[in-house]
Amino acid sequence: MPPGAGSTATVFLVDVSQSMGATRTLDLPSGPNDRPRTKQVTHLQWSLQFAMLKIQEMIFNGRKTDQCGVVLFGTEETDNVVNRTDGGYDNISEFLPIAQPSADTLSKLATLQPSNVSGDPVDALVVGAETLNNYLRTKRSWTGKIVLLTDGESPIHIEKWELIARKLTSFNFRITIIGVDFDDDEIDFHEEGKSHIKRENESFYRKFTAVIPNSVAGTLSFALDEVRKPDMKETRSALMANVLRLGDPANNPLEAVEIMVKTSKCTALSRPKAWKRFAPRENIPSDGMDVDLAPTRDRDRSENEVSKIVWAELRMRTEFHVDRDEQEEEDERGDNMDVDGVKKSGAKVEKEQLVRGYKYGSSYVPCPDGQFAKLSTHMGISICGFFNADNFRRELSMGELQYVWADPRSPLQQVALSSLVAAMDKLNMYAITRWVSKDMSEPKMGVLAPCRFQKVDCFLWVQMPFADDVRKYTFSPLQKLLNRKGERVTTHPYLPTYEQREAMDRFVDAMDLTGEGEKDNDGNRSPWYDTRLSYNPAIHRMKQALFHSALVDDLAVDLLPPPHPELTKYFETPKKVVTRAKEVADECTTAFAIKQVPKKVARPRKNDHRRVQDDDDEVLLLDRVAPQTSPTAAKRPIHRKGDDSSETEPESDVDIRAPSSKGTKLPTPSPEPRIVTDPQRAPGRIIGMAAPLADFKNNISQGDVVSKAVEDLGWVVKEVVSRPFSGRRHTEMIECLIELREVCLQEDEIDAWNRYCYVSTIWLLKAVCAKEPGNSAFWNEVKKQQTNLGLITASEAARHGGKSNFLDSLAEEVRCCLGGRSIG
Amino acid sequence: MRGIRVSRLTVIMASYDDWNRLDEEEDEEIQDTSAFERKHDVILFAIDCSPSMLASREDPNYENTKTSHLLSALDAVVQVEKRKVVVGPYDSVGIMLYNTTRKNDNGQGSEIKKGTYVYQPMSTINATRILDLNQLIDEAREDPGLLSGDYPSTDKHIPVGDLFTSCNWVLRDGAPKSATKRVFLITDNDDPLVDSRNPQLVTSARTTLSDLLQAGVSVEPFFISADDKPFNQHKFWTSVLVSEPSTDDEDEKFLPNAISITRIDDLLEQMRFHEVPKRALFSIPFELAPGLVISIKGYGLVTEQKKGAYKYFVDLGDKMEVVESRTTHVDEGRESEAGKGSVLFGMTLGETVEDEDIQEHGFGTRPVRAGRRVFYTAEEVRSLRTLDLEPGLKLLGFKDRSELAFEDNVRHSLFIYPDEGTYAGSRRTFTALLSSMIKKGKIALVRALTRRNASPSFCVLLPQEGEDEGWAEPSGFHLIPLPFADDIRAAPIEAGFRAGKELIDAAKSFISKLALRNGTYPPDSYPNPALAFHYAQLEATAFREEFDPALFEDHTLPKNDTIRKKAGPLIKEWMDLLQNDESARAVIVQTGSKRKPVSSYFEYCDHDKQWSGGG
Repeated sequence: MPPGAGSTATVFLVDVSQSMGATRTLDLPSGPNDRPRTKQVTHLQWSLQFAMLKIQEMIFNGRKTDQCGVVLFGTEETDNVVNRTDGGYDNISEFLPIAQPSADTLSKLATLQPSNVSGDPVDALVVGAETLNNYLRTKRSWTGKIVLLTDGESPIHIEKWELIARKLTSFNFRITIIGVDFDDDEIDFHEEGKSHIKRENESFYRKFTAVIPNSVAGTLSFALDEVRKPDMKETRSALMANVLRLGDPANNPLEAVEIMVKTSKCTALSRPKAWKRFAPRENIPSDGMDVDLAPTRDRDRSENEVSKIVWAELRMRTEFHVDRDEQEEEDERGDNMDVDGVKKSGAKVEKEQLVRGYKYGSSYVPCPDGQFAKLSTHMGISICGFFNADNFRRELSMGELQYVWADPRSPLQQVALSSLVAAMDKLNMYAITRWVSKDMSEPKMGVLAPCRFQKVDCFLWVQMPFADDVRKYTFSPLQKLLNRKGERVTTHPYLPTYEQREAMDRFVDAMDLTGEGEKDNDGNRSPWYDTRLSYNPAIHRMKQALFHSALVDDLAVDLLPPPHPELTKYFETPKKVVTRAKEVADECTTAFAIKQVPKKVARPRKNDHRRVQDDDDEVLLLDRVAPQTSPTAAKRPIHRKGDDSSETEPESDVDIRAPSSKGTKLPTPSPEPRIVTDPQRAPGRIIGMAAPLADFKNNISQGDVVSKAVEDLGWVVKEVVSRPFSGRRHTEMIECLIELREVCLQEDEIDAWNRYCYVSTIWLLKAVCAKEPGNSAFWNEVKKQQTNLGLITASEAARHGGKSNFLDSLAEEVRCCLGGRSIG
Repeated sequence: MRGIRVSRLTVIMASYDDWNRLDEEEDEEIQDTSAFERKHDVILFAIDCSPSMLASREDPNYENTKTSHLLSALDAVVQVEKRKVVVGPYDSVGIMLYNTTRKNDNGQGSEIKKGTYVYQPMSTINATRILDLNQLIDEAREDPGLLSGDYPSTDKHIPVGDLFTSCNWVLRDGAPKSATKRVFLITDNDDPLVDSRNPQLVTSARTTLSDLLQAGVSVEPFFISADDKPFNQHKFWTSVLVSEPSTDDEDEKFLPNAISITRIDDLLEQMRFHEVPKRALFSIPFELAPGLVISIKGYGLVTEQKKGAYKYFVDLGDKMEVVESRTTHVDEGRESEAGKGSVLFGMTLGETVEDEDIQEHGFGTRPVRAGRRVFYTAEEVRSLRTLDLEPGLKLLGFKDRSELAFEDNVRHSLFIYPDEGTYAGSRRTFTALLSSMIKKGKIALVRALTRRNASPSFCVLLPQEGEDEGWAEPSGFHLIPLPFADDIRAAPIEAGFRAGKELIDAAKSFISKLALRNGTYPPDSYPNPALAFHYAQLEATAFREEFDPALFEDHTLPKNDTIRKKAGPLIKEWMDLLQNDESARAVIVQTGSKRKPVSSYFEYCDHDKQWSGGG
């Protein structure tokens, strides 16, 4: 960015006259339960919101070239530059000198109170202009802005206003006058019962700003709305020099094209501003001695501030550790243990000890410079060939777009480039190009597309993948399904039926967004959604949140207002389209009969959002049964000897050798109304394998099938535990058992627990666990829970108004016999 | 010939972890990247040594040279190993030969089934192993009898069950538990039971295979088909392999598309498709309308492959060890590391030295009254980032295909494929939507949040229908992120001189000459030269060989000779016209411009004085 571009100094002239102490009620964002909330503010506080929002923006952007100062008028005292030299200009005080603002600026503004006098805004304008002019004396390229915030209730000396306006114009300052409840025809706002003086003042301000270029007068509420709208940080893209070539101009200049060009960014990904980490500092005076000394040290501080905690920003620091691989370690373990003990746990290494290099598999390849020799390249955008634009594979576009312009200073280059652009446009051609942005930089491949603006031709360029950038995964065809004999399958739950396709066609038509957008200049409606009007919600929401947190004392009290409606305007399909599509959408819902597959048990997983692929194995092993809904599917024996095929077993049911029966059955809803199809539920059971606890609770809550539910849950637990890979369901199964026992106790199924569940299930579990070494883990868990899973004894039963045949002593005996106490 | 071959084959990629990292910048703020564990890929090559594999054949690449299927297979393996070095430097590879009488005397292979031989035990790839294998291949090329002498065939095919059992044992001993384990089975024998048709053998093959699967190993066969010996997978293999769950998806229930039948010359290319196990980046719901929800998975099919960053090593005396870097967050004012629990998020407030708090506590501090909070928790930050949306795609509506402009791009696309795992019926719904959109020439506009910690974006779903076998154009949607208003830069130049019809026509004539018929941009033709150059040097250093940059070939350079041959005279005509163009002679009045003229043509011809003077 050239020096001075966009540099701005703003002076805020804030009216603190007595009249600014008038109060009004503002609506706040709804509190919990959508309770409407309001807040009483003075006109001064309200006006200051505008200044603060503007200053927040400056703080947020953090540019040294965006500065501001504050001058107050209507103060009891007088302290300003004009008064000091010429006298007069009373009741005007410089509050904050022009500088890059900080949170401190905001907190100082927040302390302002209305005075008991009044000040003259025109005088304030003169003071502001003078202050600004002094500050910008050495900053010629800067823009000066004056923002005057007032209620328009104070008298104005307007005798010399034209002179002042001329002066301001000559300084090239931009004046913005923002008044509390000023009339505004545009938003159709007219204050009722306006005082005469305010009416006069308002018309003066309009007259005044009309003669100064780039100046406006407006009403505060509208200005606040405007300033709260998402605002883009405008970035000017730099023009970078390059050369567009076709052929080899160095060796065959007569038969090659070479055009001097400038490139600039056409799209560039904006990211939310980075969050900084903060942590509270421990108070240093941690022992009694220091606490006693504290009041002396902080003698001039108020009580409040002593109880403040300092939060410090954290900085990233990189440390280096040696992590020795366990496997490699194995053979050395014996002798190295003592000497190297620390290193194994990851000893810290200082950066000075380190050598740079690459890994070649497990071999080490030193490379002290951090990189090998670079490929020798020359700057240039070289055309390799042309192809029909219709064949362009849009999905291969790798990233941001570039503009390619002819040298803006050379008509020859412009005409030359224009002829290529126009020719390619007419032929509907794109060009394959190799792009090197400067000598020795890495080449990129991309596609050059013609782009014709109203008055200028240029190219657009987008990077395309190298061979290395394309990942070739295999995906099976969606429609061409083959069975294991290699024959085409035409009817299958995976394939949409004719009716389903019809329904989808109608849905696609109904959800069309063409002509649902804003009207353009010619009155035609454009399609709904326009990239140019779509703000990145995360960027602007975070910005809003950062602003908010910078201003408030406590986020719990001052709730963050909801996101600006501009940010979420494209989140939902336009209402009109939704209404239009409602019926066909419902039709599709019925026709496609999509069923949620019961969730697997949640298990603790690290980094789940990154490592989706981790589930894949499990998806395969147990959930492959999911698509089957045929009741016959469940007839297979679930537990087989050796059980080596229990996960692959269900596949045979999904096998498409018998597709006809299932293909026709699937779209129709399940014949049993109450029992939602759970593919993992065995016939005759009311508890499924997939979410047994939920099924159980569901059944119990219905009340009439308690005994059956108790029996079935016991059965399911046994089944699940005896299957392979049950480890991840252990916790769930124990939860099931605990719940089961609890229900038995409550629902007078004590006998069932003691006889069936306990004896049958727990004993069987033990037997299963003993046979399968992997299940001992589960058994240990059961043992840990023995008090929650033991027999229901007579005394316990009595407490719940039930009966048990088991005496406490007997139960204890059984427990011991299970090995619970003696081992656990 | 050899040199070219090598340079082509060393087209390599950086670690494929890059592929599984999706806009990592988005989470960096909150996530501790050190906790990111990689998932290793482990491949055991099981190569048939039957007589037909060992039979001597003409080498199609080298004149007067003999080769065999086994030799070609080993050659492909070494290339895969070389690529693995870069694609997954921590991955392990092993080579097992079967149908050979050669026995392992000791080590990993000594206890495996008869007829199988471990040539290279499972281990992380390293330079020595690759050099060893390279040497074997070179020697075998010199001496066509070498392989059949060293690895003689068994009399008859070993039971397929024994093959799988050996694979299981080799992998069990040599591969980390958490890895993705695969057997690449290379054979040209489509009926391994022909010698001993015995139903028990089929059963045992199935049982041992299912043992393998239970151990988390998948089998990806590469069947070699030749004109004189076509491969019929239905004779034996599909009946055994069909129940095989492959590494990833539901869809493998049909004929596993992991089965590759290939000519021996295309073996390497086939292997490339399987080089990296298919892994989804996310698995999320897709809401078409309220109550109409399916599940989908997202894959990264195009991502810029960067060379890995250099690593730091420390000299431990006996060997060099990689040093792991850990990032900590430190309060520099106090030189203390912050406990994880107490960290909150906010911004610095543009403080200046005049601020009282700065003088008191140092930069980057903010005093807060006890019991109050002016910073956000990680969870709040996430909610701000996601606007409280849950991960998923939400359909907003449909537009004409032409509404997706060339310039509406800012990031690479992802590929979306249905997933029956969460919603049964997803596949038929997805398929119906896809066909309908293709039929009507529509794209879909969706709101997307791909992961819990991502930020919402608007994307286009571009339908693609590819019902052919193989990978080339799979059926599914491309998810193309649209730029936001914040991402769009204004055109900095608004006016310029334009060409007249004559000049445009002249340009059209040479452009037409240089147009590829039915062409498009061919990614496969352009290996990244900078990457290849880097890895060629890395490999040379690892093998302790000299690197000769002169042998390196950059395939991205334009074919200027061809261009000149085809269009040279037409370009010259265009140049002549341009030179006489009226508007090209215009002078832009500009002060202070010291720019030199630009076209080398005019410098060369030196007859356009008006231009050499500068605009």
